[in-house]
Amino acid sequence: MAAFGKIEKWRLIWPFFLIFLIHCIAILFFTRGFLLTRTELSSFSNCSDISESPCFQHNNQSSCWTKPAIDRLVIIILDALRFDFVAPSNLFDEKKPWMDKLQVLQKMASQEGSSATIFKAIADPPTTSLQRLKGLTTGGLPTFIDVGNSFGAPAIVEDNLLYQLARNGKRVWMMGDDTWVQLFPDHFNKSFPFPSFNVKDLDTVDDGCVQHLIPSLYEEEWDVLIAHFLGVDHAGHIFGVDSMPMIEKLEQYNVILEKIMDILKNQSGPGGLHENTLLLVMGDHGQTLNGDHGGGTPEEVETSLFAMSLKNPPASISSGHNTSHMFDDDGNKVRVSSIQQLDFAVTVAALLGVPFPFGSIGRVNPELYALTAGTWNQPQTGATSCKSQTNVEEWMQNYANVLCTNSWQVKRYIDIYSKSSVIGFPSEDLVHLENMYSQAQDAWSRIQKSQLPGNKATNGSCYTSLNDLQQQIDAYSNFLASVTELARSKWTEFDLTMMGIGLGILLLSLVIHLVVIKRANKLQYLSYPSIVETQFSLRFISALFVVAIRGSSFLSNSYILTEGKVASYLLGTTGVINLRYSILRKKMPIEAFAFLLLLLTLRLANESGLTKQTVGSLLMNTFFVSVFGINDNHPIWIVIPEVMPILCLILLATLLYKTTAGNYCWRFLKYFLTVATCFSYLLIAVHWVLESNILATPLLLQGIGRSFIPRTIYTIGFGLLILLTVAKFLDKEMAVNYTESILIKTVAILSTWSSTVMLIMGRQGPFIVLASAIGGWCIIRLGILEKKTKDGSVGVSAADPLPVIQWSFLAVCLFFYSGHWCAFDGLRYGAAFTGFDEFNLVRQAIILFIDTFGVSHILPILGAPLLVIFNYPKHLSFRERSGLLVNLSQVLLIYGLVTSITTTITMICVTIQRRHLMVWGLFAPKFVFDVVGLILTDVLICLSSLYYFPRAVSQQDQI
Amino acid sequence: MPTTKKKKTTNQASTVGNISVSVSDAFLLHFLSGLGLAVSFWIASNIYSINLISDPIQTLRLLCIIQIPISILLHSIFRHNPKQCSYWKAVVRGVVGLPVGAILMAFGAVVLGAPVGIQFMMKTLYWSFLMSAFTFVPAVCVYGSSWMDWQRLFAYTKPIGVLDYIICIPAHGTLIGAWLGAWPMPLDWERPWQEWPICVSYGAIVGYMVGMVVSMVFVLVLGRGQSHSKRE
Repeated sequence: MAAFGKIEKWRLIWPFFLIFLIHCIAILFFTRGFLLTRTELSSFSNCSDISESPCFQHNNQSSCWTKPAIDRLVIIILDALRFDFVAPSNLFDEKKPWMDKLQVLQKMASQEGSSATIFKAIADPPTTSLQRLKGLTTGGLPTFIDVGNSFGAPAIVEDNLLYQLARNGKRVWMMGDDTWVQLFPDHFNKSFPFPSFNVKDLDTVDDGCVQHLIPSLYEEEWDVLIAHFLGVDHAGHIFGVDSMPMIEKLEQYNVILEKIMDILKNQSGPGGLHENTLLLVMGDHGQTLNGDHGGGTPEEVETSLFAMSLKNPPASISSGHNTSHMFDDDGNKVRVSSIQQLDFAVTVAALLGVPFPFGSIGRVNPELYALTAGTWNQPQTGATSCKSQTNVEEWMQNYANVLCTNSWQVKRYIDIYSKSSVIGFPSEDLVHLENMYSQAQDAWSRIQKSQLPGNKATNGSCYTSLNDLQQQIDAYSNFLASVTELARSKWTEFDLTMMGIGLGILLLSLVIHLVVIKRANKLQYLSYPSIVETQFSLRFISALFVVAIRGSSFLSNSYILTEGKVASYLLGTTGVINLRYSILRKKMPIEAFAFLLLLLTLRLANESGLTKQTVGSLLMNTFFVSVFGINDNHPIWIVIPEVMPILCLILLATLLYKTTAGNYCWRFLKYFLTVATCFSYLLIAVHWVLESNILATPLLLQGIGRSFIPRTIYTIGFGLLILLTVAKFLDKEMAVNYTESILIKTVAILSTWSSTVMLIMGRQGPFIVLASAIGGWCIIRLGILEKKTKDGSVGVSAADPLPVIQWSFLAVCLFFYSGHWCAFDGLRYGAAFTGFDEFNLVRQAIILFIDTFGVSHILPILGAPLLVIFNYPKHLSFRERSGLLVNLSQVLLIYGLVTSITTTITMICVTIQRRHLMVWGLFAPKFVFDVVGLILTDVLICLSSLYYFPRAVSQQDQI
Repeated sequence: MPTTKKKKTTNQASTVGNISVSVSDAFLLHFLSGLGLAVSFWIASNIYSINLISDPIQTLRLLCIIQIPISILLHSIFRHNPKQCSYWKAVVRGVVGLPVGAILMAFGAVVLGAPVGIQFMMKTLYWSFLMSAFTFVPAVCVYGSSWMDWQRLFAYTKPIGVLDYIICIPAHGTLIGAWLGAWPMPLDWERPWQEWPICVSYGAIVGYMVGMVVSMVFVLVLGRGQSHSKRE
């Protein structure tokens, strides 16, 4: 008796906390090395700084760094504007339905005598809106770590274009996406922000934009006008690129842009409001055909920029630059070129004549710079004596001077950055840059000297050959290109030591995990000396094998992309193995078969689009048309998606009643709980009925349904959770029915969570939760089967890993089957607005979190005790009681181990693939999801160990 | 030839069945099956000039047409209890078992993630018939509905005797090969053979052939062991 004496709570559960702690430390280290951060410098550029530069000429006091070339600037940002939305369709292999919709832009770009040009603007990943706005305005390379702030959109503290504009007396108006106001809280003279996070809403931002944009164009009180439209981005997120709403949006934009151009042109005459205005229509990033963005694939980084100056420069400009001409379908020449988004900030700053943002590393783009008339008739810089220069030479001279300033500014930034940052640039690269810069500078001062009127060495002629100027421009451009290259490598460079330390600690934690499991096995052995130590049976090996395969699949981006399919493939394989065993034991083949059938149903339901947010929409119908050839708009296809969730809800309520009915613990609380949960379910059903458009419900009722009912459900869920916690503390240690007590606790907490989770997940919720319940039941039954046959008496054995692994895989599959995937656009932002219309960061983040991890982490881990308790009879001896608790801890440990093995392998794969093209598009999001999942798993395991384990077992023996 | 070696394996006869199978029989059986495969591939490429990649449906159909009769007719010779069960009864058993096995295979494939839809229906159909001919049909021809034997072969994987080996191992090889064959499917190589069911069929066929070779090795080792024990 003394050998297995008393098993105290803490003795069993302290390892969970230890492992949690170690995981946190490891992840902290790894993340520091992997998710790069850039030191933001707090320096700002000033007008007077130019006097320090070698390009400074004393005679142009009037201007700041450059002479302003345009008076006013209109920037129209169409979020997620793919390049092929704008460019003529014959640039691409195939004409797709969404091409050639913005015809007004193509028309302008093909007009003779106009300067309008379509640029392919290449963004730097990560291609999320916030990062891109930051990149566009600072001219730098925002790093991935900022993605985490995307929900919060903190103000930009670095020097940026808008700061410079505000500082130098330019009046900026803004309308549209409210991210701008969050990024630049006090830089706008006037702003009309509209909420951007409700992706389901295609029109509010756009309508608001148009409403304020058109009148503003007649106003005089601004110098820079920014209008940010979101419709295309939202249409992409919800419907994808190849969809009617997208095409309608593009057509709407075409009309809007036409109107804008008309207004601008009408006032572009001499003395008009828009005599010297530049119009830029641009995207901040592209999108894939599914409407996703964030990564570094060509589709995502290639966006477009359309530029049109209302005062045309001399006709000779287009020659000499590498603007290419494409012919559209009517045989007109369309000017098409390309630009780096990095160059945007500095080019605009140069055009407007404000100092370049301090941290900008871009180059003034020649084509965009040459587009405006203002850069062509600048007063002679420095050498006024040269009258013989042609237009082009004059422009080049001017441009070279701008580049000189540009290079000086970038050089200054690089120098200061490497001095102040902890991890600066490698010194050999810096020396190389230094050389390049001084060579270019020397050449430039030679050219300038030769132009000085006093210098007669060049025999009076101040003729600088085009060639010289071109070489000079090339020298500066090369310098700037090298800086960009260095910066790109630096800010996507990983700290391998940190990553190594993190990985090492994580591997250590795996070892500790195994040791703890071994220890639990030993405890188990002490309670049940009859049990043999875990043998390496086929089940054990196959379980290990499956986890290993899933882990190694993360090495390939394709497998990460199809992770859901891989997981369900493996889960199906374990199901087949189970079937084999049940045939072997001649027991419960129905459960094994049912499990496979369940997987099939889940898959088909997922493919039929049942799990999409747009239930009962086109998608469902098109699926049946394409798959089964059923082509009818029979009302049944509309009714089924409406009725099925409610049926599932009823089934779940019945299930809950059945499980609690035969239980004798927590008598009073049990009834209260059942009633409250069923009431929640009823409310959910009512909510959906009100939301659907089958029944014509009064508007008032709909309003109540939309906000009041969900909030009530959240409140009930929260209240029950508190009640359960209190009950746990008040509970006099479980009296007689040990198993039942744990069972009722599990059922209670699961039902408490289920209503909230289902509500947030939308109509697919009940189906998914019901599927997880049935799947879980099959796994438990099949697990028992194995145990019972191993050990004739009580179904206790050293925990068999296969059911736990199946449990964990089912959770992974449900994550994917419920319409999620491991990317930031895989978050179902629409779900965050269940019950609330307005955006509140913390609240919406919590709801989104529950939606994302509810069915894949919260429910499975809280329900893990179910795997154990069905093995035990209702009345337990003391020995069995401690056996049960040890067993429970084993299950939790193995579940944690599976998750941490997967995460560790993900980290290893991310480390190996850190130079992969898709590192920011796939690997990094996968890493973030896994890490968050691991931490959440650890936290939930700790919490459930606190919740489920009674204080001490030994007391019970004396009662 | 069979009669000479028949004596050697009579000690197995009680478990294996009344017809005992010699090593050379096993070899002949596998040789003919392999020949059938080779012939069907040869016909596909030289007469119809198609292959699995260019025209999976036609090729799979051709494979089925050749392989199913071979499988049924050959395995029926080695049927269990030949006294109570005539040759033609075994053939009928095989013909009935074919669609049953095909349904099981198709179900398994769809559960594991094979695409569903009209455009895949024919492919899945022919593929599952082929799989059935490799795995289910031989067992059904030989053992009929004897649950004990099925359990011994496919649940316990404990084959005894030559016949068990030549049925059990190629069948498992086919299944494992098909399972492994599905692995390249999600990769983004954009090769035509990554389509369902091309690489899975290749995997199954390769698995079947490997299974045949392995089973031959087992049979040879077993045969030698038996002949040793006979002498002692």
